[in-house]
Amino acid sequence: MATTTNDAVVATHGLTKRYPNGITAVDGLDLVVRRGEVYGFLGPNGAGKTTTLRMLLGLIRPTAGTATVAGGAPGTPDSLTKVGAIVEAPAFYPYMTGYDNLRLLAIYCGVPVKRVDSALDAVELTPRARHKFSTYSMGMKQRLGIAAALLKEPEVLILDEPTNGLDPQGMADVRNLITELGKGDRTVLVSSHLLGEVEQMCTRIGVIRKGKLVAEGTIDELRGASTLMIRAQPADQAMAVLSSELGADKIKLMDGSAFSLNVDFARAAELNRRLVQAGVDVSELRESERSLTEVFMELTGTESGL
Amino acid sequence: MRALSGELFKTVRRPSVWVCVIGLMAAAVTIGYAIPWLIETFPPAGSSRGLPPGTTLADFKVALYPANFVRQTLQNWSTLGGVFALIVGVLLQGSEYGWATIKTLYTQREGRIVMLLGKLGALAVVVLVLAVGLFAVDALASGGAAAIDGKSLEYPDFQLIVKGVGAIYLIFGFWALFGFTLATLFRQSAMAIGLGLAYALVIEVIIFTLIGSLGGDWVKEIQQWFPLANTGYLASSFGRVALRGLETGGLAPYRDATHAVSVLLAYVVAFVLICSVLLRRRDVTN
Repeated sequence: MATTTNDAVVATHGLTKRYPNGITAVDGLDLVVRRGEVYGFLGPNGAGKTTTLRMLLGLIRPTAGTATVAGGAPGTPDSLTKVGAIVEAPAFYPYMTGYDNLRLLAIYCGVPVKRVDSALDAVELTPRARHKFSTYSMGMKQRLGIAAALLKEPEVLILDEPTNGLDPQGMADVRNLITELGKGDRTVLVSSHLLGEVEQMCTRIGVIRKGKLVAEGTIDELRGASTLMIRAQPADQAMAVLSSELGADKIKLMDGSAFSLNVDFARAAELNRRLVQAGVDVSELRESERSLTEVFMELTGTESGL
Repeated sequence: MRALSGELFKTVRRPSVWVCVIGLMAAAVTIGYAIPWLIETFPPAGSSRGLPPGTTLADFKVALYPANFVRQTLQNWSTLGGVFALIVGVLLQGSEYGWATIKTLYTQREGRIVMLLGKLGALAVVVLVLAVGLFAVDALASGGAAAIDGKSLEYPDFQLIVKGVGAIYLIFGFWALFGFTLATLFRQSAMAIGLGLAYALVIEVIIFTLIGSLGGDWVKEIQQWFPLANTGYLASSFGRVALRGLETGGLAPYRDATHAVSVLLAYVVAFVLICSVLLRRRDVTN
């Protein structure tokens, strides 16, 4: 999908946040999230994800750069009316019920109170809706947060690590919910440091490291082209054959007898034949894909969250 | 309007706000009427010592009767009642930081200034409840005391009562906004309540007591611009309780009610401006 100005629902240009103590949390970020996609904002802890999302919601003022969210400047009524959000842990009034908390937000947003029931249904929280927020488990709080974000029937959902603190079942439920919410025209921008989560939910990913966007694309684009893995002996003879067929720049010797070839898998049979004809024993031949974890570690210089 | 409706919706559901309202009413009845009435009706032995000749503690009960309830309410509660208002002001703003709900507030629809105005509107309503409730409770208590003692149930003019409510509303409004501003400044409740109470009950009094010992009118010239002095001027402008034809209490206030109202209103405006600037400019990081 080509990026055009028209279908960019969230766009930042040179977005920067520098704190008075000299720390640059976000550094010249250029980000484009298109209408209808579930965009994963991926990065290790402290990479600048939450700061970015806070700037997109107008909670933090950028030091430099610009941002547009749903056609308006962050934090303005033009933008906020079309945006639902959870930033870090969902925050509600502990002395009120879940239902009353959503009623309150309906009043603030000027949306019909009857939407409260449908939002609670969407996150399957209706049975506990009349209980005080302070009695909710972490999972219920998170679901109430998502219900609150849905209340405005927003064009854009901005969710900051929405599965934080959830048990595996809760995480799976929230992931499924986000995938559902992302269907159709609605745009979802979800931050996470969990690769598996992003891989399951997102149609496109941006990777942030030390406040800079270091990669952006679909999961396949980030993984890059698949490679052909061959294990053959004797290795020097195999290397000679493969070099003459492909050129040395497309061959990477992995260990004593394993080669990673940067070629299309369709050439596997042909290469196998050449090696065998040259007297080389081929013991393994398969397509090899880089995992997203490997990509993430390469890009961020860290270990992933999973 | 949406912001005000929302703030009122959550404020009336908040138990701690009602604790403050009911706490003030309960204190008004017990400290302002029940305990003094008991002491003055059943004076302990030797309690007349130090009083003017021919005067007993029972003579002081005149302060508890309806004719004096406006003066009595203002004298008793301009500072102590202000403390309750200060706590309400702190709670309404400080808790938003404590619960991190400030980020929820600012990601709904309206801008920060509109949300602030909504919150100030709700605070104004709660302070009005405090002021009217206090006067209502004191009116009832004074009537009760007079009825028990078989004294006159004659209340002051309605106009004076309204002026009294207005005066205490301004005083409470000042304290509530003081608390609100401290909570905004420190982004929390604990520090704001601590400092607010310290100021209301100790700091200004100590400073001017110490400086006052140096003597000279220049101290009063400075003091006239400080809040506690002005709440005192305003409360005293309603006069003091006449005991057997003589006014009780000390000297006449240094400045009149007009001065006090002007200074307190200036503080109110300054607090609103400070909160607006702080909320507009600062990042929400919690």
